[in-house]
Amino acid sequence: MFEILEHPADIGFRARGRTLAELFEQAGEAMASIALELEDIAPRREYPLSAEGPDLEALLVNWLSEVLYWMDGERIAFRRFRLDRVSPTAVTGAGLGEPRDPARHRAKLIVKAVTYHQLRVAEVPEGWTAEVYLDI
Amino acid sequence: MVEIESIDEWRHRIRRDPERGMRTDVIVYASRALLEQISKDLSLQQAMNVATLPGIVGPSLAMPDIHQGYGFPIGGVAATDFEHGVVSPGGVGFDINCGVRLVATSLVEGDVRPRLKETVNQVFRDVPCGTGGEGFVKIDAGQLEQVLAHGARWMVENGYGDQRDAEFAEAGGALEDADPDCVSARAKQRGRPQLGTLGSGNHFLEIQYVESIHEPEAARAMNLAEGQVVVLIHSGSRGLGHQVCTDYLAQMNAAMKKYDITLPDRQLACVPTQSPEGQSYLAAMRGAANFAWANRQGILHFLRGAFRRIFGQDTRLDLVYDVCHNIAKQERYEVDGKKRDLLVHRKGATRAFPPGHREIPEAYRSVGQPVLIPGSMGTASWVLAGAQGAMEETFGSVCHGAGRLLSRTAARKGRDARQVQKQLEEQGILVKSETRDGILEEIPEAYKNVDEVIEVVARAGLARKVARLRPMGVIKG
Repeated sequence: MFEILEHPADIGFRARGRTLAELFEQAGEAMASIALELEDIAPRREYPLSAEGPDLEALLVNWLSEVLYWMDGERIAFRRFRLDRVSPTAVTGAGLGEPRDPARHRAKLIVKAVTYHQLRVAEVPEGWTAEVYLDI
Repeated sequence: MVEIESIDEWRHRIRRDPERGMRTDVIVYASRALLEQISKDLSLQQAMNVATLPGIVGPSLAMPDIHQGYGFPIGGVAATDFEHGVVSPGGVGFDINCGVRLVATSLVEGDVRPRLKETVNQVFRDVPCGTGGEGFVKIDAGQLEQVLAHGARWMVENGYGDQRDAEFAEAGGALEDADPDCVSARAKQRGRPQLGTLGSGNHFLEIQYVESIHEPEAARAMNLAEGQVVVLIHSGSRGLGHQVCTDYLAQMNAAMKKYDITLPDRQLACVPTQSPEGQSYLAAMRGAANFAWANRQGILHFLRGAFRRIFGQDTRLDLVYDVCHNIAKQERYEVDGKKRDLLVHRKGATRAFPPGHREIPEAYRSVGQPVLIPGSMGTASWVLAGAQGAMEETFGSVCHGAGRLLSRTAARKGRDARQVQKQLEEQGILVKSETRDGILEEIPEAYKNVDEVIEVVARAGLARKVARLRPMGVIKG
């Protein structure tokens, strides 16, 4: 689950997950949905992704920066994400999607970067929640 | 609650609060009405956080277009001591050398108005936004190294412009001491196919006409006349610059402990300028800045092609000037009677050097540096000239735009893109965007009144009004 948050110049999202793995999957999907129309994308290929960070906040920023690099640098359209291994300082998993095809994949916004601005990762009774703002 | 005292009608001060770790005051340039708008978001808190940076010299400055950013406010200026202060990638921003270039054409409004739709369509085809991926400038890995080292100058030498183009850009379209080896493979991979593309968000290309001239002598020097058609280009270093900032923020967040630096916001991450990490960032930042100048040069090249196809091969499109508004530059200023080398961080702020400054092209030296301030797509943009006040008060800097008022979601709420497009058409403004949200999020109501912002910097003596530009055709991502 995720929802889009307001920011005067940019855009953010709040993601939730029953587990930390689900939180990272949802955060990836939230960012992917800001860049492209998800319904246009077929999850027909798997792209291995991983990230490290000294703490949970940095780990989430680095995970999303990894996803963003594959979106913008390797031009992959992601439909969803799967986390295989999660520790407080490292994650490995995969993005499911296909090579970007401008004729088929409608673009919404170009995401420039993932920021630390008002970043929040917290454990809640239902699992985990995070708020992240993106520079667009 | 932040306590703000007014120095005069245009200047306001937040006093240094040592309990918050502030090392200096914040000075805000604003009218009372703008100050009220500015106080509604986090921008003043962010300007106070900037005042905690080690080695900050003079006040943390807030321009009248200031709005909430991430870490640094957008519309902020901070100078640090070049030898003993810090460098902060957040003080430059993710879009390194995001900037504006103004092009003067040999056409007048009456030439373009009847063929506006055709012109907008042609430019839209020839100058890609990049939401789909690639631009038309094809370079290999070796050529990218040259672009990073030599910026717009490489483009000009390789057929994407004329010699004059490089001369009429800030820093001659390339910063010295850029080191392509300090730019990561990922940054290069993101940037290489994007050279010559506009990007999305608030980036645009606008076909405009000069509505009014406010200082005839300066306008003449800048080759601007009433009724003349000009083109304003707003773009930056695309994925390359964004990745450079991302890479070094991660590095600096890890390195800050080593230098015993603690800050109220991680997005402000910084290291001593003279440290290996600081020097490496600056060398990479200069490379990304050069990429941005090359990018805007590529856009100008394809713009020329589009205009000449419609209006004939002898149509002139001369670069008036190109300024960056996201950058950190080593500059020398007199502080308390002593000349000092400073690193001036301009985050959403434009350099505005006064008449006589040696870094201004000779053609403009007697009138001052052209300062290009884009407004929102339905209102106006301004050409200013730098004034002496900027050297004395703001480290040669002024505002960079109108400044956002509404969030992107609030701008979209209850509005229909086609209706907005129609309303603008009724005002004689044709908008073409790659995405529906691109139009809605940049509606005129989402921005502060650009005229009010300009009034502040003019009345405060930081810059002088030269010309007001009105949009006719807008192309955006």
